[in-house]
Order: sequence, then C-alpha cells, then structure tokens
Amino acid sequence: MSARGALRVLGGATVALFVALAFTPLTNLLYRAYVPPATPPEPAAAIVVLGAGVDNGVLTDSSLRRAFGGVALFRQGLAPLLVMLGPGGAGRSEAEVRVRLALDLGVPAGALLPDPRGRTTRDEARVSWEDLAPRGARRILLVTASEHMPRAAALFRRAGFEVVPAAVDDEPGGTSRPQARLDLARNLLRELLARAYNRVAGYL
Amino acid sequence: METAFILVVTALSTLAAALAARRRARRSLRSAMGRALETIGLGAVFLCVNIGLGFGLILLVRVVTGRFASLYKNDDVTILAVSMLQALVFQWWREPEER
Repeated sequence: MSARGALRVLGGATVALFVALAFTPLTNLLYRAYVPPATPPEPAAAIVVLGAGVDNGVLTDSSLRRAFGGVALFRQGLAPLLVMLGPGGAGRSEAEVRVRLALDLGVPAGALLPDPRGRTTRDEARVSWEDLAPRGARRILLVTASEHMPRAAALFRRAGFEVVPAAVDDEPGGTSRPQARLDLARNLLRELLARAYNRVAGYL
Repeated sequence: METAFILVVTALSTLAAALAARRRARRSLRSAMGRALETIGLGAVFLCVNIGLGFGLILLVRVVTGRFASLYKNDDVTILAVSMLQALVFQWWREPEER
C-alpha cells in the first residue's frame, strides 16, 4: 500500500473512531467495563480527597467536585478527619484553597489536614500514609473521579491503607452528550495509559 | 437529542455547501474525500508523534534534572488542534502548485 493509501485508511479509521466515541454509546460501554459500580460510602477513620489541579488559586472543576464530595462525606459524619491534598503552582496550593473552602462550608479547622506534597497519585498515597499512619487511621474513604478510582485505590492499598471508594463523577457514565462522551473517552484513555505506565514502572 | 441536533445542523450545512460548489467543483467528491482522509490521517500521525515526544521529553526532564514534571502537561486538548494544523500545512506544502 502506498503512503497516501495508508494515510487514507488511517484517516478513515480516525473519523470512524471519532463518530463511534462521540455519537454512539461505545464510550458509555467502555466506561461501564472499566469503572466498577459505585457502592454506598461506609464509616472510616479519615476522608482523603485527591488533588485534581488549581490554576492561579482557582480550583479546577474536577478539584472542586472532589472537595465538595469530601466535605459532604464529612458532614454525613462518616469520618472525623478530612485530608485535603493537592500541590501548589503559582500562589496558594490546591490543598490550602480546598481547606479554605471547607472552613467556609462549616468544617471545623481541627478536623482538616492539608498536605500539598503529593504531585502524583503514588506520591499522594505515600504522603497520606505518612500523615495518617501515626494517627492509627488506616481505613480511609478515598475521594477521586470514578475513572481514576481503580488505579488510585490500588496505589493506596499498596501503601498500606484499607480503602473505601467514594467516587465522584467528572462526567456521568451514562451521558449522551457528544462532548461529554469525548471527555469521558479521553479520561478513560489517560487512565489506561497511566495504569500501563504504573505497571511498567513497578508501582502497581 | 444533542447528537441528532448536531447531525441535522451539519447535514444541512453540507447540503448547502454541496449545492453552492457543485458547478465550480474541479475534482470529484470521491477524490476530495480521499484527500480529506489523507489530511486527517496525517493529523493522527502528528498527534501520536506529538504525544509520544511530549511523554519522552517529560520523562527525560525527570531523569536528567531530578525535578518533577507532570505527564498531564501532555493532556491539553489544544494539542489536537495544533496537530491538525500541522497536518493541513504539511499536506498543502506537498501538493503541486496550482497554476
């Protein structure tokens, strides 16, 4: 096959993949295959909210959703301690911004533990262990995006925690909006690549 | 609902463009679609190369400097648009000059 022919086949495959991911339920099926169904949250010793990004002191949508998820679990009385993670860029760290938000939402300062040291999910598992193991808090409610949960839970279990997943959805798995489906597909692809990288590096 | 809406809108604009261009068209629709697929295929190649190169550079920075660089830098959706732009320029560059 000529180079032009190969490019046409690749172009056709790209268009077909785009149409399938955006305009058919394929992405929803892939989501259901990869993400385990949500279970009701159970009491734990601490709630750990994973980082998702801050831009010049403003939390990203995903970060805000996770922070609210953590606060909601705390307000339900499911754990006495709320750990807010997330590194800093320019300005305040994500963890600090989230703690400010949690205080505004009525969480007492004594129940909040910010830690901006973790820059990757594996890092976050390590620093959480350093923060919580001395307090005897091994059973945690882990708050992150549903697509991220399988990898995050595995890394936290490997660090020594007993993990109770408490996922929040960045995009609903049953969405029928084309853009949301494409975002979901991108998140799933990113997770599959990250999982492969973690396996190759021996972290999982 | 959004799916049907987008498909109807694009079908209507495609129909309008086809009617407007029918008399001025200088090549067959089949040939035009083939060239469009070539450009999209080239865009996919550029996208894979850009993402692969990005991962490589980030890992190199981590190894050489010992400093952290996030792999998520490679995750920005604009890389898709820039890759398609690269493909368009490259495609037009290698086409014969029009007289």
